[in-house]
Amino acid sequence: MSVEEVTQKTEQIDLSADQKQTVKHPLNTEWTLWYTKPQIDPSEDWSSLLRPIAKISSVEEFWGFYSCIPRASTLPPKSDYHLFRNDIRPEWEDPANSKGGKWSVFISDSKKPVLDELWLKLMLSAIGELLEEDDSVAQEVNGVVFNCKKKACKFGIWTKSLDNEETLKKIGLKFKNLVDTKLSTPVNEEQQQNSHPRKPEEIVFQFMKHDARRDEPAKITL
Amino acid sequence: MAVIRYTEEELLELQPLAVVPKDFDPKEFNDLVSKVSEILALREEEYEKHHGFGNRRRSSHHFNAKPKVHKHKPKVTTDADGWSSLDSEKPEKTSFAFSETSNNNGSDSKKLETVKVRPNNKNISSSRPADSRDIIADKNTVAFNAFAALESDEDE
Repeated sequence: MSVEEVTQKTEQIDLSADQKQTVKHPLNTEWTLWYTKPQIDPSEDWSSLLRPIAKISSVEEFWGFYSCIPRASTLPPKSDYHLFRNDIRPEWEDPANSKGGKWSVFISDSKKPVLDELWLKLMLSAIGELLEEDDSVAQEVNGVVFNCKKKACKFGIWTKSLDNEETLKKIGLKFKNLVDTKLSTPVNEEQQQNSHPRKPEEIVFQFMKHDARRDEPAKITL
Repeated sequence: MAVIRYTEEELLELQPLAVVPKDFDPKEFNDLVSKVSEILALREEEYEKHHGFGNRRRSSHHFNAKPKVHKHKPKVTTDADGWSSLDSEKPEKTSFAFSETSNNNGSDSKKLETVKVRPNNKNISSSRPADSRDIIADKNTVAFNAFAALESDEDE
């Protein structure tokens, strides 16, 4: 065995040991980041547009992939990010989602500077299991979604079930609190200096079941 | 089994220890997103070129003024007696007005002749062509007035 080969082998061992040392904050469950590509060719169907990007099982891995991927505000229109638990596909047909629903809120394009922070906060709340307080009902949240539209963005939280209205409301209130806190905070120094009591923007949080008709009223509204 | 939770602060503290997940190729994903963005931007640009502001097809907004439709508007002059008359600059070709000057010049084209008026039945609803003789036939006829007849009897 040559000196070069020995050095190479040693480096490999050292690298894997480093990795073992750094990965030490496991998440409650594994999470998968999905990306929906906008349709470019009419022959592309939904399933071909939706693709898994990375699987994360630790906090360190989350930050690793977060530092490499494009920010939510820079995504082309009609793109989506989905962060879902384990192997749950971000489709309502998935058995884990089929009996559930989603909390959703539209944020206008004028709030673009805070979109990235909002999406980060929502992802952190999901992987840190902060959206659910009670351990007995943990994993009610299946995933969090960011939909990039042309003039607005939609944030969402997908739940496993529809029945426990009290739990769903608690999740919705956490979601509302997260969004309201972010939107009421001035983004930069200039805004901080010019900040004056603003009229709060009317933002509606709605909980709907996945297969709800467009004209169907929301199950819960905040 | 206890749920593993992290507060937002705890998660943010761990940011410097970032590790890129296995089987994740950031370059491939970033290339995909930038390629899609590029294609969509080009499409948007193309759309704007054809449908955007200032590029409206069949629009007359690019004209600075309205097109002049009535170019030869005849002048109206009013004389001392209060009579108004139209002053047309060019004598009309179809005019058969006879004047002494034209007669003196001996112009063959401007001879006094009978003008045959042909009624325009284009817009008449009846399919039967209108005849100019019918117009002549429609004479005023003296209708029998019964009151006038009675008055004359009383006089007698």
